[in-house]
Amino acid sequence: MSNRMNKYLSDSLLKQESERQGAELWGKLIKRPTFSFAVFAVVMILIQALSKAGLIGSSFVNAVGSTLIFCIVGLGFCLLLGYSALASLGTAGFIAIGSYSAYYCLAEWGLTIGIGFIVAILFAVVIGIAVGYISLRIEGIYLAIVTLGISEIIKELLSALCDTIKIKGTQITLLGIESIKLKTDVIYYGIVVILFILMFVTQNLMNSPTGRAMLAMKNSTSAAQAFGVSLMKYRLMAFTISIIYASIAGFMYMLYIRYVSNSMGNLFTLSMSLNVLGAVIIGGMKSIWGTIGGMFIIYGIDQMFLQDIPFFNENPTFITLFCGILVIVVVMFYPGGLAQLALELKYKLASRKQKIKEGIYGKDLG
Amino acid sequence: MCAGILATFAVTLIFKTSYTTNFAQGVISAIGAYVAVELSMKNGYPIWMVAIVGVLVAFIVGVAIDVLIFRNGRYVNSLGKQIITMGLISIIIGVIPFIFSVAKMEAVPAFPFIHLTQGLQIGEIFIQYNTIIGVAITIILLAAVFLLLQKSKWGLSVRATASNEIVAGMMGINTKVITAISWGIAGAFGAVAAIIYIGNVTLSNGYVMTTTQINAFLAGILGGFATFHGPVFGAVIIYGLNILVGCLCIHMPELSTWKSAIVYLIVMLLVLWKPQGLFGKKLVKKV
Repeated sequence: MSNRMNKYLSDSLLKQESERQGAELWGKLIKRPTFSFAVFAVVMILIQALSKAGLIGSSFVNAVGSTLIFCIVGLGFCLLLGYSALASLGTAGFIAIGSYSAYYCLAEWGLTIGIGFIVAILFAVVIGIAVGYISLRIEGIYLAIVTLGISEIIKELLSALCDTIKIKGTQITLLGIESIKLKTDVIYYGIVVILFILMFVTQNLMNSPTGRAMLAMKNSTSAAQAFGVSLMKYRLMAFTISIIYASIAGFMYMLYIRYVSNSMGNLFTLSMSLNVLGAVIIGGMKSIWGTIGGMFIIYGIDQMFLQDIPFFNENPTFITLFCGILVIVVVMFYPGGLAQLALELKYKLASRKQKIKEGIYGKDLG
Repeated sequence: MCAGILATFAVTLIFKTSYTTNFAQGVISAIGAYVAVELSMKNGYPIWMVAIVGVLVAFIVGVAIDVLIFRNGRYVNSLGKQIITMGLISIIIGVIPFIFSVAKMEAVPAFPFIHLTQGLQIGEIFIQYNTIIGVAITIILLAAVFLLLQKSKWGLSVRATASNEIVAGMMGINTKVITAISWGIAGAFGAVAAIIYIGNVTLSNGYVMTTTQINAFLAGILGGFATFHGPVFGAVIIYGLNILVGCLCIHMPELSTWKSAIVYLIVMLLVLWKPQGLFGKKLVKKV
């Protein structure tokens, strides 16, 4: 009798223990940043799925898709600006590199996506190291000037090469097999997956020795040097990574939108670089979630909702004006940006909760 | 070329007094050009008058930017200041279509002082009066400003502020006023540059001065921001290179696409050889 009782007790204890462990594991999992990235990716994929079911308009999905592309650019920029305190104005030019490599590899030379992707990254690396090596040798703040010039030249050269670039759906094939053609919705999933991977990579990079070296460099170059951080190496690394991200984004942009007319210099302009910069600043420079939030404010809201309102449709520069004002206000008065705002709200909410609890149960005197 | 040299001086002045690269220089000067074009096209005022009004407006905009933004943001680091000027570009580009009706037009035709077909014929060379006026204005302005910098009390204060703002303040120089006036003068110079510049090209949007501005910055890097004359010489070198490569392109037309890339490459190689600029000194910072 007692044996059975004991067995029963120990069983239930074991069960409880394993449940507790499971809950702990679950809690740990939830707290990991990767989990939230995965949730984000799933939500983004759900949007596309819902649109297929006819619940969401396709223009909304397109807006989300192009915003996600800019989120990729923003992640690289976040690493550059928030972690090594370098600003670049050449983002538009580097995005253009990705787009044009997609066009030439897929439409002109008939290569597969994988090879095009590698070509885009190779171009980015070469240009990043060449430009970075020269400009970073002088002084950090000259990077913006040099990249601004490079971007204008890239734009000029590319539009002289080919003014309007266009990819047909039949030219986007996986592994060179003609029968597997990738439609826009597949590309959308691809964008989400790439964004997820890059978020994961960026998060780990930020918490690695590399990220800490970059932060040290940002806060004090002299102190970082004293600790043996090579300024040139880490600045060059951050700059090249940001260009690679921009190039990947350009590549995906070309696959997703499939048509870029550069004749009026409409797309890859200084405005685009400035908007990316603005979004990262508004989001709070150092945080991945802040950057993505900033991108959704600058690009997302504009494309998702404001395009339908006649006032914004007639005055497309209004959003630029708004972005500029936000940037200046954030830099001068609230350097933490959106990420800081979220953190403060969270604390405020927690203290409010605590107060309510104290109101009900009385003060915890322990 | 004249426009480029004036713009270079404007950029240098702000770099020296406010310790930042002013990316909004191009758009501030574009405001001056837009004021001039708007007044002239709407009311038909003579060009001299509208040019002066445009320059004045740019001066006021420059002072306003310093007083409203940079005076309050003195404790922002140099990257923050750079970003503020980038934000200013967005603001001004956004505001221009709301203020100027001209900006809604597709492209405004060129806006010369004297019609482009009139000019001097010396042998085989034809020189437009417009170009001559532009060169004259540039030379007079630059001569005046360098003379003032070297000889006048204002020039001494500017140089003192540029070398060390805090010490200059201790010596009884009102650095706030000096900085504000520098921003104003930079804006005015930019506006003059823009008005000379749009004599030959169409005014299509607020980014009209971007190329000039990029050349101005490059000139600053090439000449070294340490002195006032270095960047101006740098600008002369860059525009000289442009003309040289342009001559080369006449013989080899396939090169013409690569023209600006070649000039850029040469400048970058020069910078690689002399990282502090041709006229620069190495600055040693104490911690």
